[in-house]
Amino acid sequence: MKFLFGRKGFSKSQAKQQSNEDFYIGIFKDLEKNINNIQSSMHSPNDLIVRKIKLGTTDVKCALFFIDGLADSELINHQVLPSLLFEVKKSDIHLSALPEEILEVLIEKVVSNSEIKRANTFDELSLALLSGDTILLIDGLTDGLIIGSRGWENRSIEEPLSEGLIRGPRDGFIENLRTNIILIRRRIKDPNLRLTSFKIGRRSKRDLVMAHIEGIANPALVKEAKRRLETVDLDDAPESGYIEQWIEDNFLSPFPQLMHTERPDKVVSSLLEGKIAIILDGTPFVLIAPVTFGNTLQSPEDYYERWMVGTLIRILRYIGAFIAVFLPSIYIALVSYHPGMIPSKLAFSIAATREGVPFPAFIEAFLMEFTMEMLREAGIRLPRPIGQTIGIVGGLVIGESAVRAGIVSPIMVIVVAITAVASFSLPSYSFSISLRILRFVFMLSAGFFGLYGIILTYIMINIHLVNLKSFGVPYSAPFAPNFLRDWRDLVIRSPIFYLSKRPKYMQTDDKVRFNKEGESS
Amino acid sequence: MRSLEYGDEEVGAKEIMFAVPSMVIGIGILFLPRSLANETNFYDGAVSLLIGGFLAVFFTWVNAKLASKFPGKPLFSFVPLLVPKPVVFVLKMILTVHAMILAAYEVRMIAEIAKQYLFDQTPVEVLSVLFLLVVVYAVSGSRVGILRLNILFLPIIYCVALAISFMNIAYFDYHNLFPVLTTDWNGYVAGIKQSFFSMQGFAILLFYIALMNKPKEAPKAAVKGMGMVILLYLVLFTTCIGVFSNDSTSTMVFPTIELAKEIQVPGGFFERFESLFFTIWIMAIFNTAAMSLDMTVISLRSMFKKLKKKNAIIIISPMVYLICMYPQSFIEIMGFGKIISYSGVLVAIILPSILLIIAKIRRIGES
Repeated sequence: MKFLFGRKGFSKSQAKQQSNEDFYIGIFKDLEKNINNIQSSMHSPNDLIVRKIKLGTTDVKCALFFIDGLADSELINHQVLPSLLFEVKKSDIHLSALPEEILEVLIEKVVSNSEIKRANTFDELSLALLSGDTILLIDGLTDGLIIGSRGWENRSIEEPLSEGLIRGPRDGFIENLRTNIILIRRRIKDPNLRLTSFKIGRRSKRDLVMAHIEGIANPALVKEAKRRLETVDLDDAPESGYIEQWIEDNFLSPFPQLMHTERPDKVVSSLLEGKIAIILDGTPFVLIAPVTFGNTLQSPEDYYERWMVGTLIRILRYIGAFIAVFLPSIYIALVSYHPGMIPSKLAFSIAATREGVPFPAFIEAFLMEFTMEMLREAGIRLPRPIGQTIGIVGGLVIGESAVRAGIVSPIMVIVVAITAVASFSLPSYSFSISLRILRFVFMLSAGFFGLYGIILTYIMINIHLVNLKSFGVPYSAPFAPNFLRDWRDLVIRSPIFYLSKRPKYMQTDDKVRFNKEGESS
Repeated sequence: MRSLEYGDEEVGAKEIMFAVPSMVIGIGILFLPRSLANETNFYDGAVSLLIGGFLAVFFTWVNAKLASKFPGKPLFSFVPLLVPKPVVFVLKMILTVHAMILAAYEVRMIAEIAKQYLFDQTPVEVLSVLFLLVVVYAVSGSRVGILRLNILFLPIIYCVALAISFMNIAYFDYHNLFPVLTTDWNGYVAGIKQSFFSMQGFAILLFYIALMNKPKEAPKAAVKGMGMVILLYLVLFTTCIGVFSNDSTSTMVFPTIELAKEIQVPGGFFERFESLFFTIWIMAIFNTAAMSLDMTVISLRSMFKKLKKKNAIIIISPMVYLICMYPQSFIEIMGFGKIISYSGVLVAIILPSILLIIAKIRRIGES
């Protein structure tokens, strides 16, 4: 019985809440009621500032609402308030006593802000207020004015820490959405640059903008991306990683299906390839979709250097990726299962150095790789000044003591060191994490089944890759499905004038970047 | 229209062109030089190989032509248009059994060779079940995925196969090739039979051309693919005879792998190239096994319309494993290979030819 009553009570209170919400939605004619309403809905915080004034020469009461710190108080003090209080008096604008007409006059003749709009629901007002805008409510009117006054402290534009370049633009995205969009707009002065806005987060109501260039990006891709972004239903998305995980194709895959970057130039070049960019307010990391396997090993710097340099560096990266994944597992396989494949002299010296080591090669490699990963993680977490200590400790622990103590062999130290260096040579951090995961998978399979295990795991990863898609684009493109023309910008980076077509795997609307012969012909 | 739409499960001519060699190249070429050398003198096997190859190209064309007459329709949805229902049922049975035994044969062979060249202590049962699991994983993915895997793997396979020929140039003695044309007719015929048998597998065209967006291009692409196979076989056979001479080739179990054994990697970077060669060759055999298991799944599902793909795989894979464990000795396994060759003649030559003739006479399908 009590349970039933409880249920009843619950539904009653819910009904009450429901009616409360109805009660809040509109704006009252009575200004005092509105002020009370807004204040009580936010539980009268002390940074909510309510400034009551009388408009110009009239006796019409009105109130300005804004949140201290979110709104630009300089702007309100020097522009909004003076124009409402004094400039109306000075000028010959006639404010009638009828409240209905006041609003139009205010918008058209009085308030000198460029951003201004009418609103008639409480929801709109409170969202604007919490976004940093100023609200003007007038006694006797059920419409309010939202005056754009967003302005808060921002980090200045700096060089991105996570993606260093030798040559290339030094500016990076910051936490402010507007600034980030400006950084993109300044690079593409094309009216076809489309910015679609979304509000993300039930509570946080963050701004999110999806950018693409109409006429280049495939409409099907844009439609699909919009559809996915519309489904996002989170409490809050503190970082674009939340969005990435919500809209990616396959959450079981170790491979990143969206790329993130802090570099505007990378975003712009992706937009020009027909991709889309997703910019979230509050994070400097912009998402790029779709991504293919080849993209993860490309860096904007490949294009800034001359083509030979770019090509060689890219080949180096492919080798680096190969080493980062395979080297420890090949070592395990060769030492424990196929010692015959190692040249005899080397085999002898490996056997000699492994003499005192009590563990099988797999345990040895696993210990060292595990230590290496731990050191890497510790190096990130430690405060900068202490961070270097980890390097010294790590170097000593790995390089010297472990070998002297006879826990690992010197060859193993070399293998681990080369693997670590190789994995640092990859431009995409999230991709290099995927490779780290795969490295352990390969080590495990090599530990059990040697080369046979390695090749079977390799085949399995390839099976996964050909079935994986990023926003409908096969992850393994342009390897398979095979687009030979796109290979000009894959492992090698051909001279700029050979890259006159946009990537075929993106199925862009506008297929041609520029005329190979130059502008005149 | 665009040739490849977003997310569509379609393939182009390139996928078909790569699918044919991926299916054909597998176990066969590893011992083909031996069987050819057994039947013919000196380098005369090349003649048999070319004639056998020509036959294979012709029947590849027949298969592709038949399938491309019915765009977008897999084998079992156009066959009922041509022949009465009981015949269709028998056909489905034959294809299911053929494809299943083929998959089992590949799985068993890989385990046997892996045991010989990579792992001498691990039991065959374990090696084959691992391989089978990977194949099952491939088949449970999308069908287009399997065709894309071919594109990923085939270039690697060709590179390593051509590399073992190229790196053996130092041991190549052209005196081993001469004199020419000393074999009698029976030898040639036997050689043609052997080389034709090792070029089977183009029956997959009947299943995969349905996925193509431009089926008209299929016959040309398939023939090109078959041409790639003949080229590779010819290169490997020539190298085998040139390096080992006819007599020693005919005594080796897997002459092609033995070729890899001869190689000294310059700089002494690593030894025993044959282990590496076979490791990479696993990819070739994997492609064959994956496509044959996929064929089995398609055929079985065509008999039981309500069977889901997942369940079909769950039913088939233990059967494949049991079949592949059935032969007790290497000779029995080779006997298995023979069965597959003869049933392959039925599946890939006789049936498609008859069906094509029926289609021509009754004027069914697009001309």
